[in-house]
Amino acid sequence: MSLEMAAESSEGEEEGKLSGGNQVLIVDDELRELGKKAAWSVSSCKPGNGVSSLRDDNLETYWQSDGAQPHFVNIQFQKKVRLQLVVLYVDFKLDESYTPSKISIRAGDGFHNLKEIKAVELVKPTGWLYLSLSGIDPRDTFVNTFMLQIAVLSNHLNGRDTHVRQIKVYGPRPNPIPQQPFQFTSEEFITYSTIR
Amino acid sequence: MESILIDCVQKSLNHFMHSNAIFISQRLCAHFPSETNLQLLAVCYLQSNQAYSAYHILKGTKMPQSRYLFAISCFQMDLLSEAAAALCPANEPGAEVPNGAPGHYLLGQIYRYTDRRKSAIHHFKQALSMDPLMWAAYEELCILGAAEEATAVFGEAASFCIQKQYINCSTPPNLSAEDCNVAAARHNVSDDVSPRQLRHMQGLKDIAANSHGSSIIGGTSGQLSSSGSSNMSFYNTPSPMATQLSCVAPPPLYRNVMPNGPNLSTLNAENSPKSTVNSIIQAPRRKFVGEGKLRKISGRLFSDSGPRRSSRLSSEASVSANANATVVSGNGTNSSFKGGSKLTPMTFRSMTIRKGQSWANENIDGGIHNDVLDVSRLNITSTTSCSSAAIEAKSYEQDAATLQLGGQVTSESKVITGASEILSLLRVLGEGYRLACLYRCQDALDTYLKLPQKHYNTGWVLSQVGKAHYELVDNLEADRVFSLARQITPYSLEGMDIYSTVLYHLREDMKLSYLAQELISTDRLAPQSWIAMGNCYSLQKDHETALKNFQRAVQLNPRFAYAHTLCGHEYVAQEDFENGIKSYQSALMVDARHYNAWYGLGMLYFRQEKFEFAEHHFRMAFRINPQSSVILSYLGTALHFLKRSEEALAVMEKAMLADKKNLLPMYHKANILMSLERFDEALEVLDELKEYAPCESSVFALMGNIYRRRNMHERAMFHYGIALDLKPSATDAATIKAAIEKLHVPDELDDNL
Repeated sequence: MSLEMAAESSEGEEEGKLSGGNQVLIVDDELRELGKKAAWSVSSCKPGNGVSSLRDDNLETYWQSDGAQPHFVNIQFQKKVRLQLVVLYVDFKLDESYTPSKISIRAGDGFHNLKEIKAVELVKPTGWLYLSLSGIDPRDTFVNTFMLQIAVLSNHLNGRDTHVRQIKVYGPRPNPIPQQPFQFTSEEFITYSTIR
Repeated sequence: MESILIDCVQKSLNHFMHSNAIFISQRLCAHFPSETNLQLLAVCYLQSNQAYSAYHILKGTKMPQSRYLFAISCFQMDLLSEAAAALCPANEPGAEVPNGAPGHYLLGQIYRYTDRRKSAIHHFKQALSMDPLMWAAYEELCILGAAEEATAVFGEAASFCIQKQYINCSTPPNLSAEDCNVAAARHNVSDDVSPRQLRHMQGLKDIAANSHGSSIIGGTSGQLSSSGSSNMSFYNTPSPMATQLSCVAPPPLYRNVMPNGPNLSTLNAENSPKSTVNSIIQAPRRKFVGEGKLRKISGRLFSDSGPRRSSRLSSEASVSANANATVVSGNGTNSSFKGGSKLTPMTFRSMTIRKGQSWANENIDGGIHNDVLDVSRLNITSTTSCSSAAIEAKSYEQDAATLQLGGQVTSESKVITGASEILSLLRVLGEGYRLACLYRCQDALDTYLKLPQKHYNTGWVLSQVGKAHYELVDNLEADRVFSLARQITPYSLEGMDIYSTVLYHLREDMKLSYLAQELISTDRLAPQSWIAMGNCYSLQKDHETALKNFQRAVQLNPRFAYAHTLCGHEYVAQEDFENGIKSYQSALMVDARHYNAWYGLGMLYFRQEKFEFAEHHFRMAFRINPQSSVILSYLGTALHFLKRSEEALAVMEKAMLADKKNLLPMYHKANILMSLERFDEALEVLDELKEYAPCESSVFALMGNIYRRRNMHERAMFHYGIALDLKPSATDAATIKAAIEKLHVPDELDDNL
């Protein structure tokens, strides 16, 4: 993922472990945020710190779970979408024992057939974390799915509940020209490809 | 007192002191309630953007000028049906349209925006025939796609029409009221008789220059008898005149007749059904008089006036309410005069306004000058539509003295040459504009090149030239021309929305944001500025903000079709198809020939895979703009998806011919051939195409696909490799890499690619 390489952060990755975190959210131009098209829900929450805090573009507000682990954030789309990247904002310095430690990302058609597609372990993260959903095979660049579930399996310092401040989900931009197999790359083709 | 107040209002309006004008005219109306004074107050309101006030005070009034002003107020308040009813009362189907050419123009606009295209066209054509110099009417006809060739419209008939307006006739007009033969009425200004005298002599009937018919005179007398007398009494009667007048039977009549002639008076006097803004006329006339150019009026005049008056009175009776507006407007009015049409003051006014403007530029018969001066001033204040005239009127005032001193009779030939020069200019501009609206852009460009340098190098013309280049998809040239236009007229927003789109296509984000900033600082309330801003955001792919900006443009002017279309584009980019459809349809309601909106709808349905709808809409767009290769190529693609591939290929051929620089039709053709499994032909096309577009990844990717279908794996691999080297999008890179993987496993069937 080009964005992971481009990110200027103290991010390190070893054997599925992520630490550090970007202070600035920078995402490739070719990706677009798909969260608006989805229905978001959480397994539990404390009143006043509900699911809307995950989507309000405000890093001061956070979702706080209120129950037994694991905690879930469910993202359900009306039709299958291609997803490429999940970005979370978590901060150990602010949330300490509420900071997630083990996260599992599942995908499927619904609650009945979710399968894990990514697992990471976080080590004192502070900022935006980029979790790419792509596999190694070029055919696996995207995950084509109805539903995504982000599961917080455990927290730092064995905390019970978790804080997550923001989540964003990205997928590729569709071809501006519909029904075409490939997108155009050259100026001449792009100029003639639409009327504005 | 009344005339002083009226004069004061006039002066305030001329000097753009609107609040003063409103105050004084409110006092005037309170003290001397009359419909003509109400008209003056309405004019003051309209000049200071208070159409609602004008609406309320003029509601229910019947005089033609009141109806015209009321219609203007309704139009500005978007109450189109009331405006139409005012201009064309339902229970008087044969009624004259007040004010002649401007009245028809306003009616045309109303019908245009209420979707009655044929009626709109009819009225614009009427307006143009009454006033061949009404460019706005011709422009509207072009936009509606119903304009005749400029050579016909701005040709002989038009020249004749203008001449009749401006040239004094040499034969005294018949004074018989019944005979409103103003057509032939041309008073002999070259006589020793002063213009005033002449007028007196001929009665108001024939004011050749203004083709004010006898009806006006009749009207005057009529009015005199009815209500206007109070107005009359104080009208600019120059003192010497006054004494003379006093011995004349209908003193008020003469007063009106006095300086600036009968027109003014007729305007004032008007028949009961007609009214003119007498007061407006008064003021300038007085000035005129005050300049000390009073001329003696021989007793003969007065004696003549006696019988004339009576005849006028009788004629007035015969003057029908349906004065032929055309008469006054002086567009070929003469002919209408012959028919005994009556002039309405309104038309007179409109005529004079025009005259004011043209006279400012040309030498005109001295006698007419006087008239013009006053009239122009009058008209300017009285008509809301001629704001520019006001400026000329003002200059007129200054020039009044000199003009009067000149007192020369401008020869007929000068008017003729002047008219023909104007018309030849309008012919070129009109033809260019018409061709551009028909999207015959190359012809339009050639036509504009015929203009003299001083006209070509103006903001308006260069904007039109820029638009033509844009339609020909020559964005670089369009950019150059538009930036030249901006250098020459940096304050003009005409065409800047198109310029912003040009920069969008060229992906010049710096230039585009600079343009948007400049436009907004020039005029925050112009839709073009927000369109430019929106295009800026759209280029950055921030569709939400772009949409907000375009919506702002729509709010500022809901009759700006392009703003609606751009909203549609942004909705579609966000995949909000419902709102997209609504926006495109709004655009089409404003301008049914806005092919971009038809195209937008076609693309929307195309995305939704409703190919029949898509084909229909692309065809509508094509009908409006048949030279666009982009529309043709999409039409072809839609046909292909409708399984009418042979037709699709034929359309692609046409697209290729329409614009040699457009390579997409070749690409689409190859795509279609491939899906028809005519692989060799497809490869042939692509082999040619790759020479023209060596950096286009999709061409090689498609070739890879074809070779893969032919099981020529090595060739496929080779082409996929090149495609990947040419930096396709991430999605496509993934697709191509996946395709390469599949090459290694030829047994696997892949339906996706």
